[in-house]
Amino acid sequence: MAIIEVATGRKLTASISPLEDIDFKQITKKRYFFDWKKEKGAGELFKLTLQGESEILGLLALKDFPTEFRMQIHLLCVSRENYSKGKKYDGIAGSLIAFAARTAIGKYFEDACISLLPKTELRAHYKSKYGMMDGGPQLFLEGARLHAIIKKYLP
Amino acid sequence: MSYKKLLHEHSPKDLAESLVFPVRLSAKQQKAADLQLAEARQKLQEKMTDAEKLTGRLMGLKFRMEDYFRAEKPNTEYSFGYFLKLYIELLDMKRREFAEQIGIDETLLSQLINQRRTPPEYIPIRLELHSNNSIPAEYWFRVIEKDREGAMLLNKAAMRKKEMKYVTGGISVQI
Repeated sequence: MAIIEVATGRKLTASISPLEDIDFKQITKKRYFFDWKKEKGAGELFKLTLQGESEILGLLALKDFPTEFRMQIHLLCVSRENYSKGKKYDGIAGSLIAFAARTAIGKYFEDACISLLPKTELRAHYKSKYGMMDGGPQLFLEGARLHAIIKKYLP
Repeated sequence: MSYKKLLHEHSPKDLAESLVFPVRLSAKQQKAADLQLAEARQKLQEKMTDAEKLTGRLMGLKFRMEDYFRAEKPNTEYSFGYFLKLYIELLDMKRREFAEQIGIDETLLSQLINQRRTPPEYIPIRLELHSNNSIPAEYWFRVIEKDREGAMLLNKAAMRKKEMKYVTGGISVQI
């Protein structure tokens, strides 16, 4: 997957891998918004780094619902330096969402679905940015839209 | 930092492009929300085309293959035979029909699926052509390589013991 360096427009190769215990040393609430230690054991946790580097640029908590062929994005963040205006890299959150989609398809094939439960004020933006669809209070991606986000962020 | 404080300082667009917040629902709300999601998915699935379904199946196969050959440790659950069998199943085809379509005997197909024969070089190429380039030949070759690597690691001592009798000389330097 490629992350864009905002200052130069360069595409940099990134990788997403499971979070390890040692990573928690660099994960603070100040830099990564949430108390990620609390999420340990509640689902699968992943980190996004640039290839060959250890600095974590984004984090993802995924919950699996096998009977529904669905994976829920429970929590996601980019690091503080990559948040809002003045960010160093672009495409981190999109890559993490696409990774969730890829994981779901690898498990559940054509039945795969990813979902998230949005804060009310952010709902419209998840829909316009990532093509998410309404499923009651939850938003979801399935079928062609799920495939599209993978093609966009994990070409 | 609380959500309200972040929302006060940043636009909803900026927040949505960087974060997914935890939202807690009561058990009753969660149940209702899951039901609504299931209904919305059901409606979408009813409209799904065959091509869309097949795309999902092939993507799933491709990602499993990638995970297998990119993994550091070999995974004995998977093999060339496993992926070939899965490919045929995902296409919902009979083995005889599939063997015919790639120009091989059904017996050879069975041997390949059951890992009783190393795939000839033309097989990955024919599989690539059959899948309309959806699963490149390179993927099948990399799976075959990974199988070999796994077998080597699994039988490391036995394989060396077997070959030892043929090696009568060697160098003294070790790097």
